[in-house]
Amino acid sequence: MTKRLLALCRQAPYGNALAREGLEAILAAAAMEQVADILFCGDGVFQLLPEQLPADIEQKSLQRNLQALPVFGVEQAFICSKSLAQRGLDIDTLVQGELVLVPVDDSAALIASYDSVLSF
Amino acid sequence: MPRTAGHFTIRPRMKFSLAVYSAPHSAQAAASALRFARALLHEGHELYRVFFYCDGVHIGSSLSTPPQDELDLLAGWQALQQQHQLDLVVCIAAAQRRGVLSDSEANRLEKPAANLAPGFELAGLGQLADAVAQSDRLITFGG
Repeated sequence: MTKRLLALCRQAPYGNALAREGLEAILAAAAMEQVADILFCGDGVFQLLPEQLPADIEQKSLQRNLQALPVFGVEQAFICSKSLAQRGLDIDTLVQGELVLVPVDDSAALIASYDSVLSF
Repeated sequence: MPRTAGHFTIRPRMKFSLAVYSAPHSAQAAASALRFARALLHEGHELYRVFFYCDGVHIGSSLSTPPQDELDLLAGWQALQQQHQLDLVVCIAAAQRRGVLSDSEANRLEKPAANLAPGFELAGLGQLADAVAQSDRLITFGG
């Protein structure tokens, strides 16, 4: 039986290595045919802001990691609506690319519906 | 008897894996992971793997030297590993970034020293995915 796996992305993109290392772990799991669903919540929603210029602070962009997700079978990402509202963000202004963004009102119920959760 | 807390149910003899992201001696989460591992083994559960990732890779450094009257996380993990033949895996990519190297990695990367502690091994992120697949519960500490 295949387990339903959810990965949480909770960190702002460049303040904490967990944002990058979390995406790397999600891609590695997907490459091993353990494709996780993803929920961006808390400051993690900032990972999807367009026009990031991380080179200015000598950081690598996370965009390549995010764009690689659909290549490995992760075709949609859940976004916590409350986290967006708290930060004054609109889902339509976020980077979509190949990744389909799905707003979620009850993140707790979503998380509870999975067998395992990888939290980053 | 199964016990529940919210929707988290613990049945007898479950298979656990732990993911540890906290640096040792910085956040309580690193110590909590060790205490949780001891507790679950004490209760008769199985610990399939402990995966050290992000700043948690520093827990596998043989060079940490806390004062004698403080908790020694490295010694604690090593003792538990010996007692239960635990699979203590340090993520190789996260460890290279932070300077936790085995002898062979130090040689390969032409670095002047190696510091991966006995009882720990370096391996890739696939070991985390495998731990998720094989375990009844994955518990994350830190992050």
